[in-house]
Amino acid sequence: MAAVTRILIRHETILGILFVIALFVMAAQSDRFFTTANLLNQARLMTEVGLIAIPMTFVIITGGIDLSVGSIMGLCAILVGVFWQNVGLPLSAAIGLSLVAGTLAGFANGIIITRFRVPPLIATLATLALYRGLAEGISQARSVRGYPDWFAQLGQGEIAGIPTQLWLFALVAIAGIFILRATTFGRTTYAIGNNEAAAEFSGLPVERTKLLIYTASGFISALAAIVFVSRVSTTRSDMGNGIELEVITAVVLGGTSIFGGRGMVIGTLIGLCLMQILQNGLSLSGVRGDGTTVVIGAILIVAVLISNILGRFAND
Amino acid sequence: MTPVIELAGVSKAFGPVKVLTGVDFALYPGEVHALMGENGAGKSTMIRIASGDHRADEGEIRLDGEARRFRGPREAQEEGIAVVHQELLLFPSLSVAENIFLGHQPKTRRGFVDWGRMRREARELLDRLDCPQLDVDQRVAKLSVADRQRVEIARALSRKARVLIMDEPTAALAEADVQRLLDVIRRLREDGVAIVYVSHRMNEIFAIADRITVLRDGTSTGTYPVSEVTESSLVSMMVGRDIHQLFPKIEVERGKTRLEVRNLSRTGLVEDISFDLHAGEILGIAGLVGSGRTELAQTIFGVTPATSGEIKVDGSPRKIASVRDAIANGIAYVPEDRGLHGLVRPQPLRENVTMAILDRMTKFSVIDTGREQRMAKEAIDRFAIRARDARQRVGQLSGGNQQKVVLAKWLATDPKVLILDEPTRGIDIGAKTEIHRLMGELARKGIAILMISSELPEVLGMSDRILVMKEGRLSAVIDRKDATPDKVGAAMMRTRPEPAAAGAVR
Repeated sequence: MAAVTRILIRHETILGILFVIALFVMAAQSDRFFTTANLLNQARLMTEVGLIAIPMTFVIITGGIDLSVGSIMGLCAILVGVFWQNVGLPLSAAIGLSLVAGTLAGFANGIIITRFRVPPLIATLATLALYRGLAEGISQARSVRGYPDWFAQLGQGEIAGIPTQLWLFALVAIAGIFILRATTFGRTTYAIGNNEAAAEFSGLPVERTKLLIYTASGFISALAAIVFVSRVSTTRSDMGNGIELEVITAVVLGGTSIFGGRGMVIGTLIGLCLMQILQNGLSLSGVRGDGTTVVIGAILIVAVLISNILGRFAND
Repeated sequence: MTPVIELAGVSKAFGPVKVLTGVDFALYPGEVHALMGENGAGKSTMIRIASGDHRADEGEIRLDGEARRFRGPREAQEEGIAVVHQELLLFPSLSVAENIFLGHQPKTRRGFVDWGRMRREARELLDRLDCPQLDVDQRVAKLSVADRQRVEIARALSRKARVLIMDEPTAALAEADVQRLLDVIRRLREDGVAIVYVSHRMNEIFAIADRITVLRDGTSTGTYPVSEVTESSLVSMMVGRDIHQLFPKIEVERGKTRLEVRNLSRTGLVEDISFDLHAGEILGIAGLVGSGRTELAQTIFGVTPATSGEIKVDGSPRKIASVRDAIANGIAYVPEDRGLHGLVRPQPLRENVTMAILDRMTKFSVIDTGREQRMAKEAIDRFAIRARDARQRVGQLSGGNQQKVVLAKWLATDPKVLILDEPTRGIDIGAKTEIHRLMGELARKGIAILMISSELPEVLGMSDRILVMKEGRLSAVIDRKDATPDKVGAAMMRTRPEPAAAGAVR
């Protein structure tokens, strides 16, 4: 792993340096930026994107992509509201069912990709439209409000001074790091991305691994939907619209190769934080939203370029 | 008469590997000149030099008696030298006429493509090739292989080709199409086109060729009129050396039956294969490319599971529906294409070595990296793999060392049956000998080895018995003591397999 790790560490070093620079610049621009309250609040805001970015890292390492995560999130958010308010189930049961629905949506993606051999880009582009359409059909353009206080704890409360959902995020991230680094599942994920045929010829469970990854992506998207609903105390069918692009940006910014085979969860986490403080810092210092998008785009290109150039040196 | 093209004392090396040494070759107008030789003998390189793809290190190319240097394939094309490649280089989504005239479409005065003239001329060319039923507006994707080949030939003729080089043109053709192709070649010959015809098929060579040049290990063993050679003299010219000296064959007592294959078929790939393989035995599989050797191996290994038939390991029938089943039943397969199927090149050596037994390397599905590291170190020592350390990426190793990593990976599964598909392709002599020595050692330990090879000397030198395959079936089984290049070669190329041969396998 030496050579590969070295590149990744270098990519992460670059990213880490960029992150520190960004922190200083933003702190200098606005004295509201570098405060515990603001930083914790930013962490709270990035949790949904962050959660989905963990399984997305796996997806992209296999050489795939999952564009449907935002739609799954919207669908699951709607389902929580509908099951609870319209069907009249207890809220906890509604949450459970919504998680099951998200998992099934991811499983369906996996089946389309592994059994019917549809390229992931096409398969999840189709389900992006399909799941979003379902969400809109079910919601009938009505939003659901009035969630009980205990539910709001997840998205708005704190445990030991840290936002509640951040604990959840930490749990998922640590699980992601562990699975990718230490287990046969993680090893198989890399092997698929680097050479799927050779993985197959080595008797590795290629199909099962891919199926599980897309299923996990659906499950975590549902989890992110619950966190989101809890944070904003309302459900609408357009929730999570376009979030897939933010997620993919974070993952790729974090050094995961879009061609597969290379990447780490740690990188994704740094990429995510960098994006979030840029957004926050720029808006605090008065840059408009579209300006922020331009800066993030530029940072993405620079980071990927640098990593490509370094990668070329490492390849002999 | 002066030759239309002549190679005189041509040599070519790729890095340290000499591919051609002082080859002479002359081609006259209106002749069909067959070029023969084993895989790796230098045929392709010679064709590439003649067509301007490669430049010779030494020697010269003469066109109509005058020395010429081609700066690239374009210049050779302008001189009327065209190559019909084995893998046809057409554009599937363009029409027949567009493919024929790609790069030199007839233009109108205003610079637009003159479609009318293009279609008309394409039609004339195809009629000249005796295929009036071929529609010039048809998309090439919809054509059969034989028709595509005609389009490719028409494309060569549209460039006013004087020299037509055909690289194994019949490899993918059915018998009837072969006859039509030979007719077309005869017609072109009458028109004065000079044709180089590369093929392994003896009957075609004798049907069409006027003269024959045989290449062996990058040198020409001479050019002969077809009347002066026979099938067996050609085979021994191609193979040449005294094989049994080159290979360190260890005599191993034949043990109990490890693998029994009965009536194994996989629709469209292999048909009705039966044989036994014993502990300590090396069973060679010979056959031309496309004869079903690799397909047989991959059927036994579960990549393309059998559709009918039976596989027994150590006497009991086993169901092999996947690679995992095969590994679990003690079957290992070192594939033909190292880079594509054998290794995950961007990953480190140690991860490759354990890849086939990853399940056995874990505690609660966490990989025991300490054990992995030890295993990789052992493999490096045992196989003398030249690597910096166990963490080096496999893609950085040389071909021979990569092959040793693949071997280490499969021996880690502790196989009873080891299938080796072209185990020494593309690796240097030193590593080759080491792998041959290792094969003997493994046989002595009681592993049953099935070895596929395109190199006849290797098959003859290493095998205890030889299965010869042709068109997805067994065409002969030959014992070591009876195996001669002529006999094996003849069984490989025979037009009709003798049905009796397959029965005599057990």
